[in-house]
Parts: sequence; C-alpha cells; structure tokens
Amino acid sequence: MTSNSTPLYEVRSVSKNYGNVVALRNVSMSVGAGEIVGLVGDNGAGKSTLVKILSGVYSPDSGELLVEGVPHVWKSPHEAMAAGVETLYQDSGLALDLTIGANVFLGREKVKKGFLGKLGFLDQKAMDQEAADDLERTGIAVHASKRTVGQLSGGQRQAVAIGRAVAWAQKVIILDEPTNHLGARQAGEVLSVMKAAKARGLGVIFISHTLPHVLEVTDRIIVLRLGSVVRNAPTSEFTAESLLGTITGLHVGTE
Amino acid sequence: MSIIVDPVQESSFEKPDRSQLWYRRLLANQQFLLLLVTIAIFVFFAFNRHVFASAGEFGNNVTNFCTLVLLGVGETYVIATGGIDLSVGSTVSLSGVVGAIAMEHLAMHSELLVLSVGTVVCIGIGILVGVVNSALIHYARLVPFVATLVTWGAGAGMCLVLTGGAPIGQNSGAIALTVPKIWIFSYPALIIIAITFVAGLFLHLSRFGRFTFAVGSNAFAARAVGINVKRQVTSVYVLSGALAGITGMFVYMRLGSGAPTAGTGQELIAIAAVVIGGARLTGGSARLSGTVIAAWMITIVSSGLIFMNVSPNYNQVAVALLIATAATAQALRKSARQSS
Ligand SMILES: Nc1ncnc2c1ncn2[C@@H]1O[C@H](COP(=O)(O)OP(=O)(O)OP(=O)(O)O)[C@@H](O)[C@H]1O
Ligand SMILES: [Mg+2]
Repeated sequence: MTSNSTPLYEVRSVSKNYGNVVALRNVSMSVGAGEIVGLVGDNGAGKSTLVKILSGVYSPDSGELLVEGVPHVWKSPHEAMAAGVETLYQDSGLALDLTIGANVFLGREKVKKGFLGKLGFLDQKAMDQEAADDLERTGIAVHASKRTVGQLSGGQRQAVAIGRAVAWAQKVIILDEPTNHLGARQAGEVLSVMKAAKARGLGVIFISHTLPHVLEVTDRIIVLRLGSVVRNAPTSEFTAESLLGTITGLHVGTE
Repeated sequence: MSIIVDPVQESSFEKPDRSQLWYRRLLANQQFLLLLVTIAIFVFFAFNRHVFASAGEFGNNVTNFCTLVLLGVGETYVIATGGIDLSVGSTVSLSGVVGAIAMEHLAMHSELLVLSVGTVVCIGIGILVGVVNSALIHYARLVPFVATLVTWGAGAGMCLVLTGGAPIGQNSGAIALTVPKIWIFSYPALIIIAITFVAGLFLHLSRFGRFTFAVGSNAFAARAVGINVKRQVTSVYVLSGALAGITGMFVYMRLGSGAPTAGTGQELIAIAAVVIGGARLTGGSARLSGTVIAAWMITIVSSGLIFMNVSPNYNQVAVALLIATAATAQALRKSARQSS
C-alpha cells in the first residue's frame, strides 16, 4: 500500500532463449513492498528461468529490471543480493559439505578482528552463533550449526535455505518451490515465514505447484504458460478450478 | 515462534554423537586412524631393523617427505575444488631444470644470491604452469584431468628438450644445505614444514579455504552467493604449481643438479597421499592433516621396504596397496554409518 506508484521490484518485457528454446517471451511483472506474488505455471513454463533472471544468475536477452523504479543490470547474483534481493533456488543453493553456519554465511563470511582477519581467517564461532539466531528469528530451530547440511534431511535442508534467504533479505525474497520436500506441517510453517516476511515489508515472490498454498498466502497471482504471462490478477479473482484452468490452458468459460 | 526443524527429531539426531565415548569418536576420525596405522608401520620397521628408528634415518625420511608433502598440499586444495592436477611431477622437473640453467648463469655470484634467484625462478615456473592449467580449463574448456595431462606431457617434454636428457649443474653447496642441521631437520625442510602448516591453517580456517570447499561442494551455490568460482579455481592451480616449484627447488638442492626426470611419477604419489588422507575426489571434502600423515606413511613405507631388503621395484605395489586399503576402509566406514 505504501508505494502504489513504483513497485519494489519490476521486470519489463523480459525475454530469454536457451538456444532454440524460448524460455521467456516478453514477460512483465512486479512485486510491491509487503506483497506476496504467486508465480505459477506448468513444468517448463519458465518460472525458474524468470527467478534466475530476477536473482542475477542469468541476464535476459532483452528487457529491463527495476528496483524501486531504478533500472539495474546484474553482473552477478552477488549484485542482486547486495541490492537486497535474496533467492531460494529450486535446485538447492546449499553446499552440502559445509556446515549449517558456513552455508548461512556463504559468500558473506565474518572474519576475525585485526591482522588474522586481514588474512581472511574466519570468526567461525560468531558465525555459528549468529546463524543459529538468524534461523531461529525466522522461525527455524536448528540446534547444531556445526553439522554439515549433507547430514540433514531434505526438509531440514530446505529450512536452512529458507532461513538463510529470509535472514539476509532487505527488500525482496524469491522462493522457488520452497515447500518441496516438506511435510504438511513444515509446509504450513513456510507459509507463516512468508507472511512474517510480508509483515516486515518485504516483497515476496512465491513459486509453487501446490495451488491451495498459493491461493492461501498470495495477494496476486501471475500465471506463466510456455514462457508468456497469460494472467496477472489479484488472488481474490481466482478459484481453485479457474487457476488450474488458466495454468493448463484447458480452461473455457471466462472471457 | 514457529519451528520448522522438529526439535524432537533434532535432538534424537544429536544424541548418539553426545553419548558416544571419546575413544569411539576418535576411532571414527579417519585422520586419527591413519596416524595409528602409520605409527604401527613405523614400529614394525623399527622392530625389524633397529637403525630405522635412529635420528639419522629419521632425517633421511624427513628429506624424502619434503620432496612429496607440498605436492600433496597443492593437490589437496585442487581436489577440494573437485579438480585434479596431474602436472605437478613434471613441474618439479621443469622448474628444477630451468632453475638450474638460471643458476649456472649466475655461478660466479654468492651462493645465497644464486639460490635465491633459483628459488624465484622455480616458483615462477610453477606459477606459470598453474596459469596455463587454469587457462586450459577456463578458456579451452578442458576438464582438469585433460588440461593438466597436457601440461604434464608438455612439461616432461620440455625438460628433455632443455637438458638433452642429462642433469644440469653440479652444486655441492646446495646439497650441503639439505643435510639436517637442527636435530633431524635441514633449514629447507623447516621452511617446507612451515609452509605445510600455514597451508593447513588457510585451508581449514580462512575464507580462501572456505571458498575452495564451497566451489568443490556446489559450484552453482558458490556462484550464486557471489564467490568468484573462476578466480578460486585459478588460485588453487596456481598455488599447486607454486608449491611444485618450491618442491622442484628442494629436489634440485638435494641432487645438486636439475634432473629432467626429478619429479617423474610424483604426481601419482601426491594424489595417492590425498586419497589415503581421506579426501573425496569429487571435491568438497578434504583434510590437510590426512594428506600430511599419508605422505609421511608413504615415505616411511618406501624407505622401510629398502631396509627390509625388498626390491625398490615393489615400492609402487606397496603404495597401490595402501590406496586400496584406505579407499576400502573409507567405503566400509561410510556404509556402516549409513546403515546404523
Ligand atoms: N539451462 C538450461 N538450458 C537449456 N534449456 C533450459 C535450461 N533451463 C531451463 N531450460 C528450458 O527452459 C524452459 C523453462 O524452464 P524452467 O526451468 O524455467 O521451467 P519451470 O517453470 O521452472 O518448470 P518446473 O515447474 O518444472 O520447475 C524449459 O523448456 C526448459 O527445458
Ligand atoms: Mg522450476
């Protein structure tokens, strides 16, 4: 509600091809502060590709990215992170051989004070402690920051990845199928984490195939089909059936 | 506060670890086991040939160890990124040969100056090989195995071209420097041991080491958080080359000449040390202490066999047996852990 005019994060007419495969065609979308936007579509619709463009992993073939109305070109995912855009990738962004604490701080390591710090020696204790605190603050209790992520269950790994993204996000958080691998109760907790992020004023982009989750938590839904946006409307305008119909394109009825 | 990771499940995860007795935890530590086996091997040799435990023989072993350990250190970094460096053996020879040629030109000057220049040249050659390796990986898009196979072959060939097959130089002053001065250690040996120690600190406690493991564990994740994967990979190959260059200088000093085959086959022994030390060849997991213990183990097995009057030809067979044993033990322990 705060910024009706300029959205927090916006893409305009973005296209992306992988060789002959057209993954995205002229896609425009945006997310506002304190808004949860659902991004849905069949397998291969282009959701993850859009995520990777939003997060700076890929650069679009054409089109623009704007943060608070200012055009940005990400040369690396790091630049997007520095601008406050955090991403949870579908194909795990965690290093399984590293500990929970090391993963939470990956790429943003804290170093010791003084000379040792200048040499790059890590303040592992502080990172472990802060990692545990950060995760707990986002509603994720992981006791042993010293265990490697590879030793966790699929759901626990997902929890760490979500916790990391939420803990670092300054403006926008993008979650590509965050409820994958999760049991029903834990999936419910992820939805609460998203609502908490929204309450903090973050913009949330939520990708999922679980339509009841999308309908429950989002303010607006964007439907991608074969790389194009086919619908972009407030969640209240969808029913479970009409959403499914829009995704598959088998929907007949509304004009 | 909502909780995602079930705390009950979590603590049942922890419990077995906490209740484990200290000696069971130690036995589950691969590096500790390796140390035990190494001590057992040593005791076996010393029991059969008492002179094996003498300070003089210890000194010889330290010198032999120093021709291997830095190669293992570099290889540990490289393997931690999921790569491999086959070129280090050739680099030992090539840097020794080029260093020897440079030192021949300076023979009139003070020994200190000559050896300093030689060291710089050797390290320079090593860095050059590392740069070529990473260029082949990043720009020619070769996998590390092929890229370093190319430099391995090119380096060995250049040695023959430069020397015509015969060693270069005769530097008895250099040889004298590799004789133990402080108990069982020569000065160069102390330097090499110090480098090993520092490399271990950096691998396990610094950001450079953290990035090294991150790249080997999940390059996508590393890139996504802003780690410069290319630069990290380049750094470890350059490091491996530089350490091979230092080893080349040490071997030159030991022989008193630059021999075209000084490092032949050393790359495989270095890789063996890393594997026996418990590193995963696919990257992401390695312990420098494991590599160091394994390098010492290989060193004493090689010299112990000579003491036992076993033909040196069996040396490689013994190393092969060590690799097989270590790899099997690793696999067994892994499957035991998974089924428990
Ligand atoms: N790295 C790649 N190289 C080539 N083609 C790709 C690549 N990544 C995705 N594609 C193709 O681009 C299209 C969009 O893929 P994308 O992963 O964005 O779909 P998605 O909507 O996330 O699907 P899912 O629901 O299965 O995760 C697909 O046709 C896919 O095959
Ligand atoms: Mg996807």
